[in-house]
Amino acid sequence: MRVRLEHVTHTYSPTDESAAVEVLDDVSLEIPSGEFMVLRGASGSGKSTLLNLIGAVDRPTSGRVFLGDDETSAMSEAQLTNLRRVRLGFVFQFFNLLPTLTVFENVAFSLSLAKRPRDEVRARVNEVLEQVGLANRATHSPNELSGGEMQRVAIGRAIVHRPALILADEPTGNLDSRNGERVLELLRGIHEASRPTIVMATHSERAASFGDSIIDVADGRVLRA
Amino acid sequence: MIPRALVLRPIIREKTRTALTVLGIAVGVAVIVAIQLANQSALRAFRESVDAVAGRANYQIVPEAGALNEQLLLKLQPFWDAGVRFAPVIDVEGVDEATQQPIRMLAVDLLSDLHFRDYRYARIEGAALQSFFQPDAVIVPAPFAREHHLALGSPLTLGILGIKRLMTVRGILEARGPATAFNGAIVVCDVATAQKAFGMLGRLSRVDLLVPDDAIAKQIARVLPPSTRVERPSRRNERVENMLRAFRVNLFALAGVALLVGMFLVYNTVLISILRRRRDVGILKTLGAAPRQIFLAFLYEGLLFGAIGSVLGIALGDVLAEGILSLIGRTVNALYVTSRPESITLTPDVIVLGVSVGVVLSVLSAIAPSIEAARIRPASMIRRGVAPAILPAKSAGKIAGPTLSFALAALAARIPPVKGIAIGGYAAVLFVVAGFSLLAPMIVRGIAAAAARPFRAAFGIVGQLAARSLHASLRRTAIATAALALATGMMVAVALMVGSFRVTVNTWIDQTVRSDLWLRPAKGLTNADVALFPPRILDDLRKVDFVAAADPVHGRDIIYRDAYVTIGTGDTRVAADFGNIPMVTPRRPKPALEKMIRIHGVFVSESFSLKFGKSVGDALTLPTAHGPRTYTVCGIYRDYSNDRGVVFMNRPDYIAAYDDDKINTVVIYLKPGFDREVARRRLEALFGPKYGAFTVTNASIRAEVMRIFDQTFLITYALLGVAIVVAVLGIINTLSALILERTRELALLRVAGMSLRELRTMLLLESALLGIAATVTGVVMGYALSWILINVINKQSFGWTIAFHTPTALIAASLAITFAASVLAGLVPARLASRIHLASALKTE
Repeated sequence: MRVRLEHVTHTYSPTDESAAVEVLDDVSLEIPSGEFMVLRGASGSGKSTLLNLIGAVDRPTSGRVFLGDDETSAMSEAQLTNLRRVRLGFVFQFFNLLPTLTVFENVAFSLSLAKRPRDEVRARVNEVLEQVGLANRATHSPNELSGGEMQRVAIGRAIVHRPALILADEPTGNLDSRNGERVLELLRGIHEASRPTIVMATHSERAASFGDSIIDVADGRVLRA
Repeated sequence: MIPRALVLRPIIREKTRTALTVLGIAVGVAVIVAIQLANQSALRAFRESVDAVAGRANYQIVPEAGALNEQLLLKLQPFWDAGVRFAPVIDVEGVDEATQQPIRMLAVDLLSDLHFRDYRYARIEGAALQSFFQPDAVIVPAPFAREHHLALGSPLTLGILGIKRLMTVRGILEARGPATAFNGAIVVCDVATAQKAFGMLGRLSRVDLLVPDDAIAKQIARVLPPSTRVERPSRRNERVENMLRAFRVNLFALAGVALLVGMFLVYNTVLISILRRRRDVGILKTLGAAPRQIFLAFLYEGLLFGAIGSVLGIALGDVLAEGILSLIGRTVNALYVTSRPESITLTPDVIVLGVSVGVVLSVLSAIAPSIEAARIRPASMIRRGVAPAILPAKSAGKIAGPTLSFALAALAARIPPVKGIAIGGYAAVLFVVAGFSLLAPMIVRGIAAAAARPFRAAFGIVGQLAARSLHASLRRTAIATAALALATGMMVAVALMVGSFRVTVNTWIDQTVRSDLWLRPAKGLTNADVALFPPRILDDLRKVDFVAAADPVHGRDIIYRDAYVTIGTGDTRVAADFGNIPMVTPRRPKPALEKMIRIHGVFVSESFSLKFGKSVGDALTLPTAHGPRTYTVCGIYRDYSNDRGVVFMNRPDYIAAYDDDKINTVVIYLKPGFDREVARRRLEALFGPKYGAFTVTNASIRAEVMRIFDQTFLITYALLGVAIVVAVLGIINTLSALILERTRELALLRVAGMSLRELRTMLLLESALLGIAATVTGVVMGYALSWILINVINKQSFGWTIAFHTPTALIAASLAITFAASVLAGLVPARLASRIHLASALKTE
């Protein structure tokens, strides 16, 4: 899925406790379909905000965001829900697993929301769990897993519905180097196997080296590497 | 600094949660304050009237039954030199015939009474006091004269003790002293005038005394005849208040339910605060905060909620009191004493009551969670990576606590009443509530687990998540569920109790009201007690060809063992042949009634038997106009007309004992086949002009009794409705707090593709599950509580046996309301959830 941003500006509204902060300033960029793109930048550079705008988790203050030919910045809430459910997959720094569901159920979540047949869900989730190396942990609760395992469950959850675009925000930021490496290899493997567009935000040089290309983000502006 | 960081800033920031908690406490306090204010006002008029009529008297000589013989005054003469002053008084209730309204007659020696009472005359006929001693002279208060368009010389027909007399207004009093008593519905006249006009020659209601010291009062008591006592005027108020005590305690207990639910709310709020600020507590402890400081900070939160809630509650209670007063006032008038309620006045003692109840209970509720906060270890940061699951308390799942509570409830239910108050019964209720509250986590867990599969089948992953989330947040949800279950349980219990009582009373009326018509001297049930027929009405009734039998009913209050009881009388022969008295012992009324006639015995009501420990065959010594007389108890019968206890005796025995042959009501049995409506019309035509009689049909008597019954219990439902409202506030509060806490989890669900509608459905399902858990618990608790209400509290407070009956429709309606309310409570958090800003929520760690 091709990603395109046109003159996107994003400002965090002031609250009682803070003044307005402009985190993105007139950003325009294009990520070709099937690309593993890395957004590289220091903490506070605006890369996570950029990722949120691409994933339609947030709306730009001005400018337009396109996924494929659809302008997400103009979509209704219901259209966005459907987009996220069917075409997007998210991986977060802090894994964000649902504590009340087992590993299997966490991975199956978006398929269940889409009301896919139970047999299909079971087969697909088992396949994904095999792929992320957690088939033997299917019935465990997230609390019983290590950090690396949790992130692999999160990746499983992000890919189970075969999304066209996977967004990963500092997926190794909360892991040790060995587990981090394993997660990056997994993402790379997924990309090679089915060629989804992957956009990964990271501050790590090592992580950035797993992408096809890199966009540097600094002070709310982008510079192609 | 610590309270500011942990308590003040968060409660200012979380306005909705703060407002809901404060509102919950305010409503609980308001109900208590309103009940207290209404109770005070309901009897204040009566109390003030008694004081106004008593004037400066510091003692009174009163008969325990009947009237005093005025010869008694001669025995008081020797005390004059010791400084004792005395005033003969006739103080009786009657009817203003023109309006059919009750009126009090105070007859005194107008010349000597100035020692005792202040009279200031606004106008006097002929400008001389002589006119007061004319045989028809009465004096009325100025407001009464204005209201009834009376002037000097106006006629005023009074019905006193069954005698109607045309009197004349000879003086008008300014509204002060006794002229203010009974809301000014009082006439004053000379004692000799009253004695002559209303058949009380030689008799007095009481003698008011001014006694210089208590020792002389004791000497006076020694010279008095039997069944006469010397007592303080306030003793009468105390006796009336004792009579109403069980009724008032019951009202307070019901109001307490709302407050108890409010306590759950405070407990829950403080607990949620602590669970939400666990991380902050950890940080503060790392920085050196002492456990005691943390404990006090959260206790302070409870104190703040309590103080603000109490102040609001007092203001709200002041407003609510007017409504409650009208409900209580009607009940007090119908069942206890005639007292027109006065306007509500917020007194300092009520303010102190409201503040102390609200603050003390809020602080008490905050203690347990505050201790928990103080024990948080600095290192107890929530593990990263998994949205924080809220784990159940360690004690959940253990059944030792509930088992112990239920065992204590069973023991408490066996404790006998203390001064007519079912202390054990109320304690048993608290233990049952505690038991079910401790069981609440298990019940929520069980229901959430049981619902997981059907919810999944019906609502897919949304249903499954709802069931699981509830299970995971057990620690918070269990308290809210317990609060709603408590309110529901009390609702069910009271519905069962009132429903059972209603059926019992209905059956009792069917059984007892078998006559065709009632002939009464005044309209309405209460006024009829102060209006009377003369006995010759019976002679006239015997001449009516369609009347098969007439039972002359009469009654009076006497003082037995320093409490008011009612002596009832009628024609026992007619009751045996035509009536059907519902018996406790022996089973069949007729042989017992025949024995009663034969040996001049009495029947006693069930409440009398329980209150004074009298059984069939026991001797019962009653005060009479001729001193104490002893009767044998021949039967115990059911009587739901009053709770003070009734002694029923045959009319000739009653006349002999009390020198009173008047009649309140004549119960008429028609000859078979005679049309009731025709009889009613003919009786009114015959007896209306001569006796001022009204005819009441059997059906309207039943309807009137049931109307009074329903009116009495209306307040019960109103109070429980308030408890439900507080509990629903608790549910809204809990679920809203959970939303705040689950912001990241809910944002994640949205990012993973859950639509807003699905999110709302999930939250509504969660509140529905809470509703189901509360309803199920409430029904079981309600049945247990109703058993205590019917068999312990009601029996000990009022002495009535009630047959158990389930009012299915009423209970179904109560449950439907509770369940619907709990589901609707989910709308607020669902609305909150739909406003979550996804990017910000996901950024938060």
